Amino acid sequence: MEKEETKANQDALERRAKKKPSPKQNKLTLVPLYCKGCGLCVEVCPTGTLQLYDDPKNKFGTSVKIDAQEYCIGCKMCELQCPDFAIFVNYEEEKKEGGK
Amino acid sequence: MRDYEKYIRYRTFPTPWCPGCGDGVILKSIAMAFAELNLDPDDIVVVAGIGCSGRMPTYFNTNTLHTTHGRALTFATGIKLAKPEKLVVVISGDGDATAIGGNHLIHAARRNIGIKMILINNGIYGMTGGQVSPLTPPKFFTETTPYGNIEPHFNIRKLLTAAEATFVARETVNRLMQLKQVIKKSFQHKGFSVVEVMSNCHVNLGRRNKMKSPLVMTKYIRDITMNMADFEKLSPEEQAPKYPLGIFVQDTERLEYTDLYYNHIVPVAQQAGAKGEK
Amino acid sequence: MSQRKVLQGNIIVAKAALAAGCDFFAGYPITPSSEIAQYMSKEMPKMERTFIQMEDEIASLGACIGASLAGRKPLTATSGPGFSLMQEHVGMAVMAEVPVVIVNVMRGGPSTGMPTKPAQADMMQARWGTHGDHPIIALYPAFSDEIFSETVRAFNLAEKYWNPVILLLDEVLGKAHMDVEIPEPGSYEVFWEKTHEIKDLNIYDRKLGENPPRIDFFHGYPIHIDSLEHDAHGWPSFDAKTVDKMQNLRMQKIYQNLDDIIKYKEYFMDDAEVMVFSFGISARGALAAVKTAREQGIKAGLFQALTIWPFPRAALQERFKKTKKVLTVEMNMGQMKYEVERIAPCDVEKQTLLRANGMPFSPAEVLDAIKEFAK
Repeated sequence: MEKEETKANQDALERRAKKKPSPKQNKLTLVPLYCKGCGLCVEVCPTGTLQLYDDPKNKFGTSVKIDAQEYCIGCKMCELQCPDFAIFVNYEEEKKEGGK
Repeated sequence: MRDYEKYIRYRTFPTPWCPGCGDGVILKSIAMAFAELNLDPDDIVVVAGIGCSGRMPTYFNTNTLHTTHGRALTFATGIKLAKPEKLVVVISGDGDATAIGGNHLIHAARRNIGIKMILINNGIYGMTGGQVSPLTPPKFFTETTPYGNIEPHFNIRKLLTAAEATFVARETVNRLMQLKQVIKKSFQHKGFSVVEVMSNCHVNLGRRNKMKSPLVMTKYIRDITMNMADFEKLSPEEQAPKYPLGIFVQDTERLEYTDLYYNHIVPVAQQAGAKGEK
Repeated sequence: MSQRKVLQGNIIVAKAALAAGCDFFAGYPITPSSEIAQYMSKEMPKMERTFIQMEDEIASLGACIGASLAGRKPLTATSGPGFSLMQEHVGMAVMAEVPVVIVNVMRGGPSTGMPTKPAQADMMQARWGTHGDHPIIALYPAFSDEIFSETVRAFNLAEKYWNPVILLLDEVLGKAHMDVEIPEPGSYEVFWEKTHEIKDLNIYDRKLGENPPRIDFFHGYPIHIDSLEHDAHGWPSFDAKTVDKMQNLRMQKIYQNLDDIIKYKEYFMDDAEVMVFSFGISARGALAAVKTAREQGIKAGLFQALTIWPFPRAALQERFKKTKKVLTVEMNMGQMKYEVERIAPCDVEKQTLLRANGMPFSPAEVLDAIKEFAK
């Protein structure tokens, strides 16, 4: 990982430390095939739910993982900011409701 | 399932762009604007030129056309004239639209033909490896300005306002919801519209200017842009390096070109023809 | 009822285009082709067809390709300098397999050259003007009735073979007024595949040599058209096998249908000892010269190529079995003579009459050359 990415990870952890787990159950879905590990979702997540890690399977070297699912508040910042359609919040659940 | 996914061609994924490229966000926001207007995918044509932005039509599940460098607007003009009821969207990069295609840009604006242009401004020729573009900020280092850029850059807002465009707006990839709203408004506009989207090319512009990571580059874009209201309060010296955001021009009075042609020229010609005038 | 009229060559082209169903014109003024745009701007709105004057020739051909993809039959007209600008989009039309007709009224060159003088100097540009290997169809009428029939045929070939078709004229043919017979609608074939649908995404998939159906937008099935090398779906692909396949499909749709595309005329060729090979304005002088030569007892004949590209190779080779002298007459410094030399056997004597000074060949000049050559 580059130093900017390590810093993004640390910032995320700092943000998470100030929060409490969300009372609502939100489900995050990752699409590893599309994820290029750019770290934009880690950067924008207000609760530090996501973390970057070195991933030899990804051709760009890094991937995103859901580090603390229980902290997700379902704000969809990560989904909106993801340029590669690789992360979705409550994707299946909203499909059942008819989709929004 | 998201509403906008109807407009995305997943079979051609993943996209060819670098990790963190703003093009993906723009792709998503355009698809979201389509979804909000609830358009039939077959009623839309997405046309693009060459470059990173030129690859975007492949990922839209609408009628799509990938054309030659800088000429996307000319193809779109033909399509719009042939089928005025369709939504014709042109996606163009900064080199594509303002360098090689600069002539077509100002003439499309002058003509006020109902094409919706998304001008992706990343300030660099990305696909060819990072050469200076007409929108590269001064003093920036690129492959072809190794000692710093000495040319001033175009101001799209002023250029198109002078060319009498009827809809001019600027947004950034950092503000997806606002971007989507502006794109949606441009789609609803009847005449020629341009939405300039400030995007990040951290790989080819950022890397040579101490902004290697998408995280740093998007922060930089956030720093140099501000709302129009805030921008107007600044002194001219303070304004120079900043980019205002928002809708700058929205003129609904002027008639659109295909409307003028089919509803004004055609009846006049037919009357002359009926009278037997030569 | 067919009508006999005295019309300018450019106007004949415009009339023939409208008769062939041309419903979109995008152009840029350039001497000596401007009359086509002028006539279209007056007549097309009356018929609810579309005319637009674009900002340059690149834009003109771009708009034509766009309109073609939206289901129109487009035409653009230009001359040498504009044709040079258009070359990029000729390649685009070949790659995306889009029917479009381009009229090039040739004038003296290079560069601005002689705008008001004729030349036949864009013959090779019509073939190899755009970059990359590509198939192309170029037609070149010489007489007034041919201008009408070849313009209609240009549209038909474009629609049939999904390819750009270049209609060559020269300044004399474009600007001169001539006696012409405008045939009755219905007496000539107009090819237009109206009832076609796109059933799946394999838009480019077909058998080798087969005529493809027309591809355009708005058939309820969103398709992708690409200027990049693509696979049968139209998606970009640089896979060597796919590229091979698609290149062959594009080339063979023309080269397996040469009988339909190639058209030529032969005058006094049955027992000719000297063959004059010519086309366009030069063929007019050559025909008169050949007739006079026959009166004077010289066994001369004229082979007039109407289809320039693909070159009428087989027909000429057949002629070279009997006729052992060939005189190429063209208004340039030597372009099509190389094609003739390339296919003529060693025992055929080759001679040329070339000139590019803006003066068309008079029958007397061609006659002198025939006499000299026949000795």
